[in-house]
Amino acid sequence: MQSHAIDPASMAPEASGPRLLLEARAVTKQFEGLVANRDIDFEIPRHAIVSIIGPNGAGKTTFFNQLTGIYPPTSGTISFDGVNIHGFTPHEVAELGIGRTYQNIRLFQNMTVLANVQVGRHVRMRGQWFHAILGSASIRREEEETVQRARELLDLVGLSRSVENDLAKNLPYGDQRRLEVARALASDPKLLLLDEPTAGMNPGETRQMTEFIARLRRDLRLTILLIEHDMKVVMGVSERITVLDYGEKIAEGTPAEIRANPRVIEAYLGKQSSAS
Amino acid sequence: MSGNGAMLRSAVTVGGIVAAVMLYLVTVGLVLAFSEREVITGALTLGRLMLAVPPLVAGFVIAGRGGTWTGRLVAGVVTGAVAGAVMAVALLFADAVPGVRGVLVRVSPALVAFVAFDQPATTGAAMNVALAAVLGLVGAVARATPPHVRRPLMWGALGLVIMSMLEPFVRPRLTDFELGAVSRFIYQGRGLSIPGAVIMFVAFAATTAGWRPLRARVGGRIAAADAATQATIRGMALLVLILFLLALPQIAGSFLSQVLVFVGLYTLLGLGLNIVVGYAGLLDLGYVAFYAVGSYLTALLTSPISSLGLGIPFWIALPIVVLGAALTGLFIGAPVLRLRGDYLAIVTLGFGEIARLLFLSDALKPWFGGTQGILGVPGIFGVSRIDVPVLGWELTGPTLTYYPLLFFCILAAFVAHRLKYSRVGRAWNALREDEDVAEATGVNTVNYKLLAFALGAAVGCLGGAVFATQLQSVFPGTFNILVSITVLAIIILGGMGSIPGVIVGSLALIGFPQLLREFAEFRLLVYGGVLVIMMIARPEGLVPDITRRRELHEADAEAEAEAEMTPVEGA
Repeated sequence: MQSHAIDPASMAPEASGPRLLLEARAVTKQFEGLVANRDIDFEIPRHAIVSIIGPNGAGKTTFFNQLTGIYPPTSGTISFDGVNIHGFTPHEVAELGIGRTYQNIRLFQNMTVLANVQVGRHVRMRGQWFHAILGSASIRREEEETVQRARELLDLVGLSRSVENDLAKNLPYGDQRRLEVARALASDPKLLLLDEPTAGMNPGETRQMTEFIARLRRDLRLTILLIEHDMKVVMGVSERITVLDYGEKIAEGTPAEIRANPRVIEAYLGKQSSAS
Repeated sequence: MSGNGAMLRSAVTVGGIVAAVMLYLVTVGLVLAFSEREVITGALTLGRLMLAVPPLVAGFVIAGRGGTWTGRLVAGVVTGAVAGAVMAVALLFADAVPGVRGVLVRVSPALVAFVAFDQPATTGAAMNVALAAVLGLVGAVARATPPHVRRPLMWGALGLVIMSMLEPFVRPRLTDFELGAVSRFIYQGRGLSIPGAVIMFVAFAATTAGWRPLRARVGGRIAAADAATQATIRGMALLVLILFLLALPQIAGSFLSQVLVFVGLYTLLGLGLNIVVGYAGLLDLGYVAFYAVGSYLTALLTSPISSLGLGIPFWIALPIVVLGAALTGLFIGAPVLRLRGDYLAIVTLGFGEIARLLFLSDALKPWFGGTQGILGVPGIFGVSRIDVPVLGWELTGPTLTYYPLLFFCILAAFVAHRLKYSRVGRAWNALREDEDVAEATGVNTVNYKLLAFALGAAVGCLGGAVFATQLQSVFPGTFNILVSITVLAIIILGGMGSIPGVIVGSLALIGFPQLLREFAEFRLLVYGGVLVIMMIARPEGLVPDITRRRELHEADAEAEAEAEMTPVEGA
């Protein structure tokens, strides 16, 4: 990844666009007196897997919420795929191509597995209420394609066809995580945000999940951002790691650099080892 | 031994609860009100039945709690006897202390005599204990009976009761169709005759017993047939259903048609509110506003003596009414977009009242007529009577209103069905499940909330429009909070988000009370009781949504299989 200046003219529109898929400049978020994020510069190159780590309360979630449009930064800019997303609502951000999962699984519990993925596909569908009532051929085709696509995604994340009509809440924990990924993928995202995807998993499941993340990037040409507070998880899978502490970026680099960084050890690992 | 002790304790508890229910039914006057209503003439009245069912249920419940079969049967007897004993003590007390009537005004000598089976109090008390104990035992035995035997017996009994309740309506119709002899054989006085009761019981029991195997066989054959045959069969079934619905007012007669019209009106309201509450999960307690808007707009536009004085024909006014209601939906929906759950419910409740008060107000009297309302609304087709040429049917009043209402109901059900299984319906469901995640998944939650309010209003206003033409006038007093609550109760009873549920719900909550006029003063009490029981016993409703029903069926089937397979080990 040699660095070169980003030339807007060199954007290849259909294939790649700008080299950086996401670019945050001097993002600051202030709640009343509390500065949750201070002057954070952050970027995600296309087709990379990058991670944000930091102890609990470091400002990861705040940063994440600004990326997904839940609230805008107090100052600074975030642009995604060349678009400044300031003032975008979450559904507009989703339509631009950011899909996400949740740390504490948040499925549509009383809907079927298939319907969960179909809702994920919502932004790529066109059917309005009057189309639905009239039931035109094009709308039926769209529905069929959506079912088709949803099933492919369930296959991809490793959920069997036999559970597609079960309610989401009745799936075992691991399968619920898979379903969340399938729902996020259904919107054909360019960037997939995974919020602590291995939370609550044992070492075997964690390894499977990290392998799965690597496979997603390879097979679907996705760009992936992981948020973790467990450093061990991200070391193996990500190319670049950003470390937050007390709302500020304290380090950035490859896993090897992060592992060797004294500030990280002090702020992060040091705290953990002293705690145990 | 301790197992048996625990069993007895819970038998006493259940008996006590059931006794409380029975005492309540007696002291509010429900039992006496129904003591003249014959089920089987000379043998059983509805009032007696009301006191017989609770110990029966108690025996059934207690026998489902495990233990040896002997233990269960004993528990059944105990629980029934406890319930009967409480009643007996109450009876002796009421007999000995006449002053009790000063506190419990409904405890009249007639009631005391009724509870005592017209015997002296001591004999009556003993009979209460004995009868309740026997009923408890019967309930426990029913639990021991395999479902394929129990179910037909239960439906047989239920069918018998329903047929006797229908006596005032069925009998004159039988006479109209020159079946007076049949009527005299089945019915006697105001209830069923004894042979009539036996026939009804056997007929309903046999139908229930035959239904499952028949459905399995026919279903198997249809599944085995090719697609074209299946389509033909489905088409034929639909045709038969439609022909039946078209002929229904002719079979049912004028009074039952009026009942059907009420059921239809509430079905329309229910289908509309179901979009808002059942699909999108927005608890709207002011739904009556849309009913009122539908009625008033229709009256304004079609009545020649309204303030507008336009006298437009109904069918031309209808699109304007629907559009107006949808806009009202947006108007009410917009300010409450950020509210959730309880807060939304409270605010919409307020909007419902505001709508009523606006129509009632003096300030708007020049338009809406204040308390006088709007008069002179013409019938739906502009005429009061239509003669159907070939069939010789005369359609007037309710038998005439029935048809456009049926059309609207079918239309509304169709629209609701199409929406439910579409991108829109799924977006609404997602909104109901988790608003934040729905938004982050790409659902424009603002638009979809407004859409739910607007479409819900558009469907509900159809009910209002038909209502105005049927009454030929509108008054603000009609559109009170009770309408909103009744419609919500219909949805809850039928099953949130379920279209057949709305129909079943309005049949049960609107149609049934019309059949039992003794109910009138107890209607709200019964609604409340029904809702509480539903929330405890079957929160997903009578006819739940397919996805929910599937879950339920699995659980049911497992429980049933378990109950049948394992003849419970000793305690």
